[in-house]
Amino acid sequence: MVFGHSAAEERSGTAAGSPLNLAQSRAAVRVDDNGRGRCILSVPGIKCGACVAKVERALNARDDVVYARANLTLHQATIVLEGPDTDPMPMIQTLAALGYAATPVQSGADTAPDPTGKGLLRALAVAGFGAMNIMLLSVGVWSGADGQTRETFHLVSALIAVPVVLYAGQPFFRSAVSALRRRQLNMDVPIALAVALALVLSLFETVQGGDHVFFDAAVTLLFFLLTGRYFDHLMRERARSAVSGLAKLSPRGAMLRDEDGSLTYALLESITPGMTLSIAPGERVPLDLEILSGNSDLDRSLVTGESMAVAIGPGDMIEAGALNLTGVIDGRVLRSSDDSFLAQMIRMQSNAEAGRANYVRIADRAARLYAPVVHLLALITFIGWMLVTGGDWQTSLFIAISVLIITCPCALGLAVPVAHVVAAGRLMRMGVLMKDGAALERMAEIDHVVFDKTGTLTTGTPRLGNIPDDPVMRSGAKALAVRSGHPAARAIASGLHDNPSDVTCHTEVPGFGVEGLIEGRRARLGRAEWVAEIADVAAGAGSPAFGFEHCPSVSFDLAETLRDGAIEAVTDMKNAGFSVALLSGDMEDRAKAVATALGIDDIHYGATPADKIDILRTGLRGGHRPLMVGDGLNDAAALAAAHVSMAPSTASDAGRTAADFVFLRDTLDAVPDTWKVARDTARIVRQNFALAIAYNCIAIPLAVAGLVTPLIAALAMSGSSIIVIGNALRLNKAGARTREKPASHVKRKETPA
Amino acid sequence: MMSNLTGAERTKAMIITGFGAMVGLLMAIVGHDDPMGAHGWITLLFFGVLFFVVGNAFYDPEPTEDRAALYYDDPTKVGIILALLWAVVGMSMGVWVASQLAWPDLRFDAAWSSFGRLRPVHTSGVIFGFGGNALIATSYHIMQRTSRARMPDQISPWFVLLGFNLFCILAASGYIMGITQSKEYAEPEWYADLWLVVVWVVYFILYMRTLARRNEPHIYVANWYYLSFILVVAILHIVNNLALPASLTGAKSYSLFSGVQDAMTQWWYGHNAVAFFLTTGFLGMLYYFLPKRAERPIYSYRLSILSFWGIVFFYIWVGSHHLHYTALPYWVQTLGMTFSIMLLVPSWASAGNALMTLNGAWHKVRDDATLRFMMVAAVFYGLSTFEGSFMAIRPVNGLSHYTDWTIGHVHSGAMGWVAMITFGSIYALVPVLWRRETMYSWKAVEWHFWLALTGTVIYVFAMWNSGIIQGLMWRTYNEAGTLRYSFVDSLVAMHPYYIARAFGGLLFLTGACICLWNVVMTIRRVPLLAPALDYPTSSEAMEPAVPAAE
Amino acid sequence: MTILIILIPVTLSMGAFGLAAFFWSLRNGQYEDLSGDAERILHDDDVPLKSLNSTSRMIVTKETKR
Ligand code: HEM
Ligand code: HEM
Repeated sequence: MVFGHSAAEERSGTAAGSPLNLAQSRAAVRVDDNGRGRCILSVPGIKCGACVAKVERALNARDDVVYARANLTLHQATIVLEGPDTDPMPMIQTLAALGYAATPVQSGADTAPDPTGKGLLRALAVAGFGAMNIMLLSVGVWSGADGQTRETFHLVSALIAVPVVLYAGQPFFRSAVSALRRRQLNMDVPIALAVALALVLSLFETVQGGDHVFFDAAVTLLFFLLTGRYFDHLMRERARSAVSGLAKLSPRGAMLRDEDGSLTYALLESITPGMTLSIAPGERVPLDLEILSGNSDLDRSLVTGESMAVAIGPGDMIEAGALNLTGVIDGRVLRSSDDSFLAQMIRMQSNAEAGRANYVRIADRAARLYAPVVHLLALITFIGWMLVTGGDWQTSLFIAISVLIITCPCALGLAVPVAHVVAAGRLMRMGVLMKDGAALERMAEIDHVVFDKTGTLTTGTPRLGNIPDDPVMRSGAKALAVRSGHPAARAIASGLHDNPSDVTCHTEVPGFGVEGLIEGRRARLGRAEWVAEIADVAAGAGSPAFGFEHCPSVSFDLAETLRDGAIEAVTDMKNAGFSVALLSGDMEDRAKAVATALGIDDIHYGATPADKIDILRTGLRGGHRPLMVGDGLNDAAALAAAHVSMAPSTASDAGRTAADFVFLRDTLDAVPDTWKVARDTARIVRQNFALAIAYNCIAIPLAVAGLVTPLIAALAMSGSSIIVIGNALRLNKAGARTREKPASHVKRKETPA
Repeated sequence: MMSNLTGAERTKAMIITGFGAMVGLLMAIVGHDDPMGAHGWITLLFFGVLFFVVGNAFYDPEPTEDRAALYYDDPTKVGIILALLWAVVGMSMGVWVASQLAWPDLRFDAAWSSFGRLRPVHTSGVIFGFGGNALIATSYHIMQRTSRARMPDQISPWFVLLGFNLFCILAASGYIMGITQSKEYAEPEWYADLWLVVVWVVYFILYMRTLARRNEPHIYVANWYYLSFILVVAILHIVNNLALPASLTGAKSYSLFSGVQDAMTQWWYGHNAVAFFLTTGFLGMLYYFLPKRAERPIYSYRLSILSFWGIVFFYIWVGSHHLHYTALPYWVQTLGMTFSIMLLVPSWASAGNALMTLNGAWHKVRDDATLRFMMVAAVFYGLSTFEGSFMAIRPVNGLSHYTDWTIGHVHSGAMGWVAMITFGSIYALVPVLWRRETMYSWKAVEWHFWLALTGTVIYVFAMWNSGIIQGLMWRTYNEAGTLRYSFVDSLVAMHPYYIARAFGGLLFLTGACICLWNVVMTIRRVPLLAPALDYPTSSEAMEPAVPAAE
Repeated sequence: MTILIILIPVTLSMGAFGLAAFFWSLRNGQYEDLSGDAERILHDDDVPLKSLNSTSRMIVTKETKR
């Protein structure tokens, strides 16, 4: 399973039937035009046609389902229910029984069809239609149709070309105009100018009965460029939908505890400070709270980067985004959702992102140089010919415009997007999603790598560091450990290989540990202070500890597990000549332990989100271009502030949206692999620019000399475009040589941090 | 069959057939001293028989079960049988005319059996009779299955299928009597053409109505291919057959066009007939039955859609490559040539897509002759389109035109692609349609495959050889600058190849006969498959189809 | 080539018709799940149960609507 594990697993844990989930799924049902309920489920497990058939068959077999349809591309199922208040929970259970984890899709944004893509495709179809038909007529003209026939053909071409250019050229005209408004130049300015001038000139020629019409060149050009643009868009859209297909980690509503103790579901926006919320185990804390009652353990790794769960009880303040592990807690809301810790983080992130808006993509950088040169050249040509011909402005203008047409940067316009699309495809196969092409350009420029610790370099799942010698203690500890869902208990349970002893009447005390009777003796596993109440715990012994009543206890050491490939990733990046740093919100000793294991010297620990941004900003100001790899809510702003960033698919929602790349595989060598693809792509793009320049070196003199006919223009432009595309496709082949790890083979463990 | 029609439908059927019979009678009367009169009698007979078939069962019990819960397969079944009958007839004619070319005496000195009259019986018999019936029958199957909906009514599918066969009968019988407007592949005269227009319009409407009722929101790509076949053939047929009858009581008519205009229209029609009759419809077949049989989705669905638009757009323009070195303006020829070459791209995309679908299932291809038919069809499709694009280049055409090379190209497309994909589809379809476990004899399928393949290879190689020899002999000069060989010299050189061709054709025909036998035996002998699986699906017909991400 | 007066408009309008058909299909959401749609035809036949109970529902809806 590639997408949305954490959600699936979170749900399969304690939270499956929690009141919050029930309420949330019910809230996901919309009323459609016929007064029926419509609900969209995200079902990441839909991965083949058989799944589609199975899901649809199971859902359609239900009496309360009017119609169900699964979508393989989006991994979703759309269900039309009998009535607007039919309960969708049974659908989720039906799917769960088949082995498909399903979560309701709430926000419209996740499912909205993609209007830009459709618009581009429509423009592409129109341009294709026009190009085909005009090309046909042009081939007729080139191969000898003359006189009346030729004029008719020119006229028909004009009739086709004018509406086609007006319609299909819009993306370029719009972009060019808005760039000019901002007093800037981008790629689309020379393109729009060339197309528009070609059209006007050809119309003029047609009216005059002349023989140089460029309708075919103009429309074919649009067709090629739209193809590039459409694919570019498609790539971004695919990544976007894949990322939004990952499970949502932060809740959209919460259970309110009423005066009389009953629970009701409320959307976050409607919750005001002072209200009381109830949080079940397995749920994320939706808002900043002060705990009123209940004890539990809290996994704050996504919020602060702390790797170990912390115990909480009445009076503690907890931040939105933390995961409640063991007990039910009730808490008073401190801040509304607009002011919560989560919201602050998101604001910080968008501030940090503002810096990135100044980044100018390579193609536009090229255009800033290219456009003035070309336009100047055209002007000089015009003046030159005016002088030579003694004021024949028609010929001069014609030649000047043909210079603009032939130098129209269509190859440039394709050179970058096509390379990016191919690279995105290669990354996708490696299990890395890329947000847009600019990210790839920035990735190729990095000189410094910054890793977050918890959840990035480490998996967040602790591992047992020491094993007690006494088999009785081992069996006893294991017996209690298997009875708890606390991460520490899980680590102990999987670290000890003895057979667990028999336990009678065990209880879990949230925030403290598990207690039970083992062969008649009372025993506790949990926080050292708590175990000390019944057993002899040496002073200063760490948690967790295990002990029988009135007997000496043992303490367990929990170490963090390094993520697979972490060592290789760090060494690879170092070997590539980058400095590597660790940037953690966790405590000094834990940060240092991990850094030492990985050979990282540059360590920052205990960093708050603001610290993280500062550290990155300082680097940026010093001319560095850092790559930030992180996952937590506390990293989100730093991810946005860095030159370029990556996050694992297990990252917090905010982290994933902030990152430029999201990797779906478990191992960290996604980082060097992605960098390599970016480097290869940058090389191809440079080659493509070189090709385009070479082409211009030949074409410009011809054009200036007035030797360019429409046939030559059309051939030259199609030819150069095709060469550039062909060169970009080589990226695919280069990919075959490097080791590519298919994302589908990745087996994922639960990684809450 | 009749048990699936309600009383009202039987009445309707009787009205239509009765009316048809009257029209036949009218034609017989007004055309009594013209060959058209004979066609009147044939029409009368045709409708008369149908009238009695319906009338005979008029008072039989009406359908009781809920018909709407099942697909309507009766016309499909009849269509498949008719296609195979026409295959045997058309290919027998092919073998006969092939033999006539090798041994001219086989004409038996009769007018009706002359090469010029039997040849169009062969071409119309295989293209329209065999190909057309197979296309109609499979389209009925595919449009219902992919729409997950039953056809909208019970009468119009019969009207289309049987009406089309009446057209084929009028065509074939007309040629033998000497009725022809001498436009290749559009030989039938005006009244048959008018009749075909009616049938075709009903066909198109039937298809659209079925699609409109669909329970599956997505229209599978095969439907696009079939629709383009129906729609474009309608337009081509109408434009090319614009003609003025000499009189309403006789068969003879005069085309509205003349000279090179007529030639251009004819080949605009002619090549699009190749494109939309012999290619897109059969690609629709391929895109449905190949994935079905191989049990894997088409390699790139996106590509299949893209090549659809490519093929549709490019083909429209290429007709003039049939008129190289004629009075047609030079630039029109170049135009046809240029686009013929570009046409190779979407054509190979389709062939490649089909073969890539099989990539990874080669063990199935090895074991299953049905799948092998489809694979070989895709290979020949690739081959003949490459050959076609090559032959469309003017200088190459200078060698190939008027020679047997063209015939070789035609049959590598027609036998290797069209017939092979049809046979493969029939073998895939028959057990599903009649709900049988398998075909009666898989060995017979295996035999058919090898006979068909050998026959095609012999035929095509013989024609390539003879064509190139012919072409070279015709353009060899001696020192004096005059032609080295007389026409008869080249004819003598052809003789062995013509014999080989007739032999290859005989093998192919034998295979077709085996197929017909195997299908009949499957229907009669193979036990029913226990669970009946093929139903339209659930969603209510009222609710408009739900797009996936709304 | 006066015949072009017929052939060009006929061909152009066929092309325009094709374009319109493409636009329709785009708006209709025909291309929203291509990979799923390619697979769908392979799994269409073994649905007797579902189809039976939904056909009955279909009839019910029809009647209630009328
Ligand atoms: C049993 C196998 C077949 C034999 C022996 C055969 C034989 C022939 C012969 C002898 C000709 C005339 C060639 C000439 O004029 O020089 C011919 C023409 C033709 N046949 Fe066949 N044929 C066979 C199968 C088919 C099939 C299956 C199709 C189509 C689906 C087909 C389509 C045509 C066409 C379109 C022509 C006209 C070619 C032209 O005018 O250039 N034939 N065939
Ligand atoms: C890219 C695809 C194809 C191209 C460019 C092409 C081109 C040609 C050319 C150049 C000729 C010779 C015209 C002449 O010299 O008289 C021809 C004849 C023919 N082709 Fe193709 N061909 C293609 C595919 C096919 C296919 C798939 C079939 C399949 C059945 C087919 C059936 C025919 C027929 C029946 C003729 C004979 C027309 C006549 O009666 O003269 N072609 N084609």
